[in-house]
Amino acid sequence: MSTQTGLSRRQFLQATAGGAALLGLAGCVAPVALPVQNSSGAGAAAKAVDEIRVLVVGDPFQFALEKIIGSFTEQTGVKVNLESLSYDALNARLAASFVSGSSDADVVTVDQMWNSQYYDNQWIVALDDFIKRDADINLGDFIPEVLYSLNTWRGHVVTLPIAAYAQGTMYRTDVFDTLGLTPPPKNAASAGDWTWDTYMDQVKQINGQKVGDTSIYGTVVCGSQPVPIVHMYSQLGASYGARWFKQFPAAPWDFTPTINSPENLAALKAYKSLYEMSPAEAINYVWFDAGTRFSQGDIGMFYWWTPYFYLVKNSGYMTGEKAKTIDLYDVGMLPKAAGRDPLVSLGGWSLGMPSSTDKKQAAWDFIKWATGAAAQKQMALVPDYNYQFSDFARQSLYQDAEIKAIYPYLDVQLELMHQGDGKLVRPPMPIYTSMEGIYGLNLNQVISGAVTPEVGLQTTDTLFTNVLKGNFMVPYQMESYDDTLANTEKLLASLGA
Amino acid sequence: MNRSGVARWYPYLFILPSFVLLLALIIYPTFFVISNSFYFWNLQTSAVPLQYVGLGNFELVFTVTPFVDSLRNTLVIAFAGTFVEFWLGMGIALLLSTGVRGIGIFRALLIMPITIAPVVTGFLFRYMYYREGGLITWLLLQIGVPVSERGLLGEESTALASVLFADVWQWTPFAALLLYAGLLSISDEVREAARVDGAAGWALFWRITLPLVRPTAAIFIMLRFMQLFNMFDLVLVLTRGGPGTSSRTLAYNLYLEGLVNYNIGIAAAMTVLIVIIVTLLINVYIRFAFSDWDW
Repeated sequence: MSTQTGLSRRQFLQATAGGAALLGLAGCVAPVALPVQNSSGAGAAAKAVDEIRVLVVGDPFQFALEKIIGSFTEQTGVKVNLESLSYDALNARLAASFVSGSSDADVVTVDQMWNSQYYDNQWIVALDDFIKRDADINLGDFIPEVLYSLNTWRGHVVTLPIAAYAQGTMYRTDVFDTLGLTPPPKNAASAGDWTWDTYMDQVKQINGQKVGDTSIYGTVVCGSQPVPIVHMYSQLGASYGARWFKQFPAAPWDFTPTINSPENLAALKAYKSLYEMSPAEAINYVWFDAGTRFSQGDIGMFYWWTPYFYLVKNSGYMTGEKAKTIDLYDVGMLPKAAGRDPLVSLGGWSLGMPSSTDKKQAAWDFIKWATGAAAQKQMALVPDYNYQFSDFARQSLYQDAEIKAIYPYLDVQLELMHQGDGKLVRPPMPIYTSMEGIYGLNLNQVISGAVTPEVGLQTTDTLFTNVLKGNFMVPYQMESYDDTLANTEKLLASLGA
Repeated sequence: MNRSGVARWYPYLFILPSFVLLLALIIYPTFFVISNSFYFWNLQTSAVPLQYVGLGNFELVFTVTPFVDSLRNTLVIAFAGTFVEFWLGMGIALLLSTGVRGIGIFRALLIMPITIAPVVTGFLFRYMYYREGGLITWLLLQIGVPVSERGLLGEESTALASVLFADVWQWTPFAALLLYAGLLSISDEVREAARVDGAAGWALFWRITLPLVRPTAAIFIMLRFMQLFNMFDLVLVLTRGGPGTSSRTLAYNLYLEGLVNYNIGIAAAMTVLIVIIVTLLINVYIRFAFSDWDW
């Protein structure tokens, strides 16, 4: 009997090469386009559902939401599988599940900067039909500036806000009393002279002074690149009149960069000065580091997102342990640039509905509940962690006496919301994340002293141009939408607001 | 087909699962990446590739990402890290081979850093590098080494070295254990013969021990170099590539472009460039280190 196999090495190698070539051809073929989502599913018959999956980000609202989630189950009989992720992990997971077409969750947290990507790619559905159908959503109760900044894209309401943030000032009352400084104003009517120049002067006067046994820094900033520094700096830049692009979000969209402007240069020099009056390690500070440093007692004044109005009551993030400065601080309006109208950055988190979910009615029920006034009030009244939620997007909650007794600064916060325009401060254009990465890197290099403000802005401008051209955004060839607050108010009126 | 006809296919059937895995997990993704490197595909604007752009993505790798800075940092980490870990590991291995009393406990303790996940190591060192109250900062100040007010991780001149130090702490024991195994394979008779001929100390090490442990050393150097070339987790936890780009590595740069900016086309082009660079370096190394090996 022959012991040789019949297949020669040449034949085997030929078969292998053929298989590899076939797979290679498969790899070179463009993927099949994702199926088009035809409708939001608002009119579809409700499927019997006993559980929904909700993916949220680990911001303060998540802690309060966890405590009251049982209410939703009691009301609807639907169990909620709530999972919390960090910002980067959430975005990565959502993108992966959307691209693969797999249904990873029924309700997802959406950052306003992701709206364009998620909606244009049909990864989330518009909520217009659901809103029109359910008048009890009480759309008119939402702050219009918030809905405009966080929840609309190309003339649709694509998400609803679960936690709305503005930016405001926090300061040490004892420091101001000791140094005889005028505190920041608490309403727009008395804020005529409250400018960034005044703010800077006060920070300079505070810096290095001793109050009690403590040497006080004038302020604290976030220096960590790319995202934290952009969140904080973009507020200052926008106040000074800096704009990222020639025309956006008003139509026609023109993404020619205007980041290297005299206004932005002035703002960047001011921010660098603020860093020089901050703890040196602020170069690496992310969002919570700045707030934690203030609550540790050696910072005179700083500006930041409004959740810090309550977060600085604690010595650490969501620890519940009261800070030693808990009775020694107050809040005020954000400064404006001299000769300009006030402009406040709006941000926060919203809930959206993936197009891949087959539980759309249950998902909508959850979104409506979680963004509703009753649930939001419940979240505000959660005593754990020392009452850590007042990020309301609904106007009625700002008038609630029971809530105001716990969060006495709500009047200030509401005024800040009404001065807000999130789309102007951080433009939610399609490749925002790439732009933010470049901007944050260069801002960090400026405040660390590696480059001058002039060089930093020039480099940013050059890189912006390269990225925008490389992504076919300049010139912009797709359809623009005249995305303004006025048009948003018309949209809301058409939906029953 | 008769029984012997079927039987001749058995060897191929047995290796078929491995072969399918090889094709599916390595060959297909490789072609997929190479293909995408020539297409404009940004998930922020489109769920599918939009158009052929030739070498446009490769140009964008250099014009919109700090690729050159990342490459420089990566080469510094790979070469310096391999060098330091090898020589420190060799020193520890030589100590282990002395057979001093109690060395067994030390040998057992050496394994511990390797068992910790790199991310956990990163967090440990992040706390130790704090400007106020960090252990390493305190130690340096105690011995008179000045530390910037921004801390070791906040200063461009020390950030990369701080990342590397954390890696050296974690992986030098691996070098020590591997080289120790190599030292154990050297016959005592060879050393004894060298001593009889008058070799001692450094001469004994350089002319006898090191050449004989060379095969183990060569493998270690190649493995660690490739691992250091792919450094990502420590950078993510300790510095996120900052301050500026002073500690950004190629792997972190790739992560930012592909998984944060979702620019699949540029990330694919970057991957191709990295593969070319690594292939060139490893081939040069193999020619140099394994030139006299009988394969």
